[in-house]
Amino acid sequence: MMDVRRIISRIEKNYITSNLKKEERIDGRGLWEYRDFTIKADTIASAEGSADVTLGDTRIITGLKYDVGEPFPDLPDEGVATVMAELLPLASPLFERGPPDEQSIELARVVDRGIRHADCIQTQKLCIKEKEAVYILFVDIYVINHGGNLIDAGGVSALTTLLSAHIPQGKIGDNGLEWTGKYFTGKDIVKELPFILTYGKIDDMIFLDPNLPEELIAEGRISISVTEDKITSIQKSGVATFSIDEIKMLCKKSMEIGRKLRKELNLEQYISSV
Amino acid sequence: MPLVIKDEYPEKLFREDGKRLDGRDLTELRPIKMEVGVINNADGSAYLEWGNNKIFAAVYGPREVHPKHLAKPDRGILRIFYRMATFSVFDRKRPAPGRREKEISMIVSDCLEPILFLELYPGTSFEVFIEVIDADGGTRCASTTVAALALADAGVPMKSLVSAIAVGKIDGKRVVDLSGIEDKAGEADLPIAITWYNEEISLLQFDGDMDLEEMNDFLNLAEEALKKIHQIQLDSLKSKYIAIQEEYSEEKGGKGD
Repeated sequence: MMDVRRIISRIEKNYITSNLKKEERIDGRGLWEYRDFTIKADTIASAEGSADVTLGDTRIITGLKYDVGEPFPDLPDEGVATVMAELLPLASPLFERGPPDEQSIELARVVDRGIRHADCIQTQKLCIKEKEAVYILFVDIYVINHGGNLIDAGGVSALTTLLSAHIPQGKIGDNGLEWTGKYFTGKDIVKELPFILTYGKIDDMIFLDPNLPEELIAEGRISISVTEDKITSIQKSGVATFSIDEIKMLCKKSMEIGRKLRKELNLEQYISSV
Repeated sequence: MPLVIKDEYPEKLFREDGKRLDGRDLTELRPIKMEVGVINNADGSAYLEWGNNKIFAAVYGPREVHPKHLAKPDRGILRIFYRMATFSVFDRKRPAPGRREKEISMIVSDCLEPILFLELYPGTSFEVFIEVIDADGGTRCASTTVAALALADAGVPMKSLVSAIAVGKIDGKRVVDLSGIEDKAGEADLPIAITWYNEEISLLQFDGDMDLEEMNDFLNLAEEALKKIHQIQLDSLKSKYIAIQEEYSEEKGGKGD
């Protein structure tokens, strides 16, 4: 069993920080390295797309469901996508039962914004009939084991889920809503693949992909989402402050690391073949 | 507005060759896979694939009781939280727990409590979280089975395991282990669980209609199936330690060379 506590001992904290000062991590990584990702797509039979992603000890399962509903009045020909996150009490003694708390809402919103502003989901493809019927997609993120950095794992999990999508295509026929017999896949609805990169900060040391002990002692973190050539969203959280030079440096780093990660993970391979 | 495709009730639940829609014989179980120790953070955990059902269970405890007034001065308490993921069913389930989930939590809790020595843990709680991430009929039986396994993995002192199975009637025939579609379209469904230390029934529900002879037959069918499930539970618990043993002997062998 992994040792999980709300409080990290001073000795362990000193060990982590003194290692960081030497640009070393307690799990042997460099400052700008991710833990290993493993990705399985379309593992849930009941969902219209799903992903089972691990990042080190962190494990997240995400599923896609859809409904057909009325569009927003100001976007009459666009479908809607929402992201929800559940920090299951099963995943960590740090998580409590009950309605979504700040932490799970932040996770959902950061992943949502990372996706929304990157031109990721082609919402216009998700229109069945203007002003009347559009798809509403629900991307629901479930944390199964909390080993730190839920945001980056959640982002990859949400993207893989969307890519693995197989959503029955609808049309308005004589008897109302009908199935055309075809499916929308990730190829149809996903355009950009934004990756979210999260950095932790302890004193003046900054490092990529905090693991759980690092996350628990970090004063703050910053998440930057990037597409191939653009920065699409940033979220700073925690009490740490970042200098302007640090932010510039992290944006540059994010573009580089994002490109490398995009190549390594090659998420396009998970596009459903239905 | 309705969804585009509805899962329709099939006209017949048997194929021309007399087998069930998924190719099983009357008393054949769906493929079952169990694994323990899948969630590092938990004190004990288990994962179960039973046909298309996919379920995680994690145990935390003995730990402090929240809210405090639930604590009992002379014994520990067992709390079960059965939940389904929004994407585990055909129509997206609302994220908040519903009446069905609360009822099943209670039933599973009643069924597992007799096997534990809660009197050894006054003032504390054992919490078992069950998360169904993919559902296809028989989740309450599967959840009971996997929760018992997670408790065993946590090293909680237990009198025995608990195993559960549903038997029922579809198109007039008595079958074991109803799938989602058989459960919905069939005539009778009887989930049943057994505590092995006294070989008595600790969970029993029934919806449908049957005569006395059928009831006897159902219980006999269930007994046979429960033995198979118990064996799979035991094997999965053992396999964790066999794996550790193998790893250890390999390491030892490696150093000796």
